[in-house]
Amino acid sequence: MSLGIEHYLILSAILFSIGLYGALAKRNAVVILMCIEIMLNAVNIAMVAFSRYLMPDTVVLTGQVFAIFIMTVAAAEAAVGLAIIITIYRNRRSVDVEQADLMRG
Amino acid sequence: MNFWLLSPELSLVGIALTVILLDLFIQQKKVLAAISVFGLIIPIAFTIALWGENQASFSGMLVVDNFSLFFKFLILGITSLVILSSMDYARKFARFQGEYYALILLSAGGLMLMGSTGELISIYIALELASISLYALVSFLKDPKSSEAGLKYMILGAISSAVLLLGMAFVFGITGTTHLDQIADKVGALVSGGQLWDSPALLFGIVLLIAGFGFKIASVPFQMWVPDVYEGAPTPITAFLSVASKAAGIAVILRVFYTAFGIAEISADWAMIFAVLGAISMTIGNVVAIAQSNIKRMLGYSSIAHAGFLMVGLAAIGTLGQSGVLFFLAGYALANLGAFIAIIAISNKIGSDEIADYSGMARRSPVISFALAFSLISLIGIPPAVGFMAKFFIFNAAIQQDLLWLVLIAALNSVISAYYYLRVVKVMYVNEPTSEEPIPSSIPLRISLAIASIGVLVLGVYPWLVLRLAENAVAMFP
Amino acid sequence: MLPTTVLWAIFLLPLFSLVFIGLILRPFFNNYPKLSGYTIISCLTAALGLSIWVLTSSDQFPIGSTIEWAAVGDFKINLGFVADRLTAIMLIVVTGVSLLVQIYSQGYMRGDPGYHRYFAFMSLFTASMLGLVLASNLLLVYVFWEGVGLGSYLLIGFWFHKPSAAAAAKKAFIVTRFGDFGFLIGILILYFTAGTFNIAELNELAMLGVIGGTALTLAALGIFSGAVGKSAQFPLHTWLPDAMEGPTPVSSLIHAATMVAAGVYLVARTLPIFVSSETAIMFVAVIGGVTAIFAASMGLVMNDIKRVLAYSTISQLGYMMLGLGAVGVGIAQGELGEEFIWLAIAVGMFHLFTNAFFKCLLFLGAGSVSHASGGTFDMRLMGGLRKYMPWTFVTFLIGALSLSGIWPLAGFWSKDGIILRAWEYTPVLFWLAIITVFMTAFYMFRVVFMTFGGKYRGGEQSPGHGGHGHGEPHESPLVMVFPMVILALFAIGAGWAFWAGGAFEYLGGYAHGFFDVFTNVGEEPLPLISLTIALAGIMLAYAMYSARWISPEKVSQTFAPLYTLLSRKYYMDELYERIFVVRVLHRGLFYVIQTVDTYVVDGIVNGLANVTVLAGSGFRRLQTGQLQSYGLAIVLGILTIMLVWFVYK
Repeated sequence: MSLGIEHYLILSAILFSIGLYGALAKRNAVVILMCIEIMLNAVNIAMVAFSRYLMPDTVVLTGQVFAIFIMTVAAAEAAVGLAIIITIYRNRRSVDVEQADLMRG
Repeated sequence: MNFWLLSPELSLVGIALTVILLDLFIQQKKVLAAISVFGLIIPIAFTIALWGENQASFSGMLVVDNFSLFFKFLILGITSLVILSSMDYARKFARFQGEYYALILLSAGGLMLMGSTGELISIYIALELASISLYALVSFLKDPKSSEAGLKYMILGAISSAVLLLGMAFVFGITGTTHLDQIADKVGALVSGGQLWDSPALLFGIVLLIAGFGFKIASVPFQMWVPDVYEGAPTPITAFLSVASKAAGIAVILRVFYTAFGIAEISADWAMIFAVLGAISMTIGNVVAIAQSNIKRMLGYSSIAHAGFLMVGLAAIGTLGQSGVLFFLAGYALANLGAFIAIIAISNKIGSDEIADYSGMARRSPVISFALAFSLISLIGIPPAVGFMAKFFIFNAAIQQDLLWLVLIAALNSVISAYYYLRVVKVMYVNEPTSEEPIPSSIPLRISLAIASIGVLVLGVYPWLVLRLAENAVAMFP
Repeated sequence: MLPTTVLWAIFLLPLFSLVFIGLILRPFFNNYPKLSGYTIISCLTAALGLSIWVLTSSDQFPIGSTIEWAAVGDFKINLGFVADRLTAIMLIVVTGVSLLVQIYSQGYMRGDPGYHRYFAFMSLFTASMLGLVLASNLLLVYVFWEGVGLGSYLLIGFWFHKPSAAAAAKKAFIVTRFGDFGFLIGILILYFTAGTFNIAELNELAMLGVIGGTALTLAALGIFSGAVGKSAQFPLHTWLPDAMEGPTPVSSLIHAATMVAAGVYLVARTLPIFVSSETAIMFVAVIGGVTAIFAASMGLVMNDIKRVLAYSTISQLGYMMLGLGAVGVGIAQGELGEEFIWLAIAVGMFHLFTNAFFKCLLFLGAGSVSHASGGTFDMRLMGGLRKYMPWTFVTFLIGALSLSGIWPLAGFWSKDGIILRAWEYTPVLFWLAIITVFMTAFYMFRVVFMTFGGKYRGGEQSPGHGGHGHGEPHESPLVMVFPMVILALFAIGAGWAFWAGGAFEYLGGYAHGFFDVFTNVGEEPLPLISLTIALAGIMLAYAMYSARWISPEKVSQTFAPLYTLLSRKYYMDELYERIFVVRVLHRGLFYVIQTVDTYVVDGIVNGLANVTVLAGSGFRRLQTGQLQSYGLAIVLGILTIMLVWFVYK
């Protein structure tokens, strides 16, 4: 048995689901940020797999390039995200997102 | 590579960097705002000079046509009004004014790029450039509300962009390309081969794209962040979010859906999705707005409702719908900015955004109150304000597409919306003022308020110039 | 030769007044309030003069002037004014009545701190109304339509320190907007099917049958929904009685002559579109008939004089719709040729014309009465005013007689026209109309007897608005009486074929001869029948309320056996009122009607509002403040869209 595109896609789907679950269920903001990174990496795997398996003959590396861009942007996003989490921590001495419900209704 | 085509964005980024650099030397921070505003003349001039161009460069990643230039002009205009009205407000964060203006400019650059690219990767990059700057801006006040708003916006924004990326991955996987026009070719081939819906992956991809962009324009059910973020963010940023971010989101939706999925077999479906989401958005937005006591939050719900009106235009496939949406955005931007600028002036003085605290404002500051009331009247959609014409064109487009049911819902919603907008007017004009102190306002703020209010009136009385620009802008769609 | 600039001038004169008062008088001459009154009066006098010129140039109709506002692609909009017979009559009504109301306001509003503002709003309102009347395309009509709505909002809420006034203004604005949006959709459907906004072209296309079918019916119903809102027809009538919170001259202008007439005018203007769809025109007639009788029955039990008049207005507007509809149904069913369009318009608009004068007169009379008795509108606190204010009494009596349809006053002729056509084309609605005649006569004379008959019952005890604080009622100043006298002359003569330009025949109708009602009974018994029924209504009111001539103090003695005998008549009347009116009518029929109005009709309107508000607070709960629940909403939203789309495919 050889590895086909479906294996990569299933892996990607599993990772995305794990990330999404974590992002919606975890209470610690930093963990949520990490879960979002998992989601983005799941997308990366899918991108590269698509690129590798669907267009094997071409030299076009669109999927791979997209994945690199996603990683770069994710890094920037994490940096700003952590900065915001720090201001939240300074304000309320906690990074529990369930407590962040000052504004509602 | 044709850098001339990129000149508006390049000059904008140049100004942003200049502002950050000068921040180190200049003590009088107001100068930074002045540099930003006057600097904006450069990209605006470039945009005007480029009008009429129709070219792609950077291997299709940058598309300059009247459509993208219309949005560039719109976003640059919005940015200059926001910066003008920020000058008083920016005193609140004395230390980081340079960063504040620079981030607004960078975000504007991202938003401009969103409308002027024909390729998925650059759409994503542009969207993130705008978003990440906005995450920082929303939490700029660093007080509990502002940082909470930033956290919510950042996490939900990141989730939605992950969702968007997954959608892009699916589309890429099915079509093997990220270029919108090539996607259209591939989709056309699938349609003529009769195997369009053989795999649900494309359908998933389209829904995920709708979700990702729907987050930007504040459409139900991706709108939950809007009221909280609007309430917590610094008011000029709320204004910026509510108009510029929505405009860019709409630009991307128009470009992606009409270019890549414009073929009738699919467009009927996504148009129906937009129609239903639009109907729900305006209903929920308007109905919940009635129950609000904070004016920024109320305008947040109003922004959701207006996303619904915009989606009526998106659902009305065709030139009328497209140009109607563009005109609606211009009108909405002016009216909403007018309202927010008045709110900035008032909250600078009274330090509150509660509608109850606006009582008797008409006697404390007749001009600002009148401008606010006029903006709200435009948001209701009463002539001679531009809101009426904007709704008129959109409704017209929808009726021409046999979407009578949607127009009926939209019309009913306009009636509901009168209820909460008029309540603010009533509080300002009827209730007794709590104090007689007038509301001070700086000259830049007055200028921006005057531009917005006069714009609302002029576009309402003579909408044709802008409408003609909008028609030119959408002429490039197949 | 009538230059078209005259049409523009008629519209621009009140607009000039608005600008002049707003930009010059209010900022710089705030201490000379009279100036703004003089400004608007002179502007309106000029406008009236020009309107008369238009009226007498009928051989040149239709005249119009058009400017191309702009064109984008194939979407062209021409703005223009046009004058024909219908326009000419309306111009006279609007400028004439508005002018008299402004003169009256000089007295009524004297000393009010918002004097400039008041006349500025009045100018805005009148300008919008004139624009609406003159506009030659539906889009322009709609713009002025909203302008009229805005003007009424400002005027009803003029005394904004009264919370009830602010609430009423808002209610009027929002309820009418329900109709307005139907109107807008109707316009858009018409544009979609016919490709033009021009009323004359649309009418022609409808008559030629180029546009028709469901689209036309929908468009006509859309336009009618606008008219229902503005003209306070069932079920959107609830705003009008509340709108009496504004100053009385405002009530008389808005609710007698102009704003509420806009709906009727609109239907008359686009009547060819309506008659091209039998459903639509039938709907107009039925709504008109139902509104006429429903509102009249409400008028029977009100104690507030302005509210009686308000319900009366609603009822009369229903009459006009009925009149337009009755002939229209005949045309739609093919019994009449298309040349009878102008007859239909004449029947409806003639009543509008006469009603404008006597209803305005009655409102001004009510204002005068209230002015005299310390600011109250409660008729139970009035009485006996005939002695104190003879001019008001006589003019009010003329108005009441005219409204009741007594020969030979104006109301008789216009009502006659409607009843006759209803009998011919819609017999069911004829019966509604004839019952309404009886009710109208009854409630108007109930007002007359309660207000002017008997003894003065003290006015308002606590000083109300204006706080006149005087013991004895007195006649109003000349500046208030003068317009009433003029209006009374019109209330008498506006219907006569040989006077006031013979408005009915001017429009294309044909009235009976002056004495036909008595000399031609054999062939045309209806006029005499309706006259008899109106007189019967008056007699009943006399029988029931003239009893109040016996002073209320002695009422307590009615139980003394001797006195019972002496005041037998009173006793009987009282008994009659107790048993019949109170038990049967008040507790029975009226109660049902009132309950239906309060809980069902008003309930539905308010209920919708309440449901909306409730839904608002319900949805609010979903906004928990928890960002993860927001994220969940995104995910669930995506899944739902996918699922629905997938199932749908």
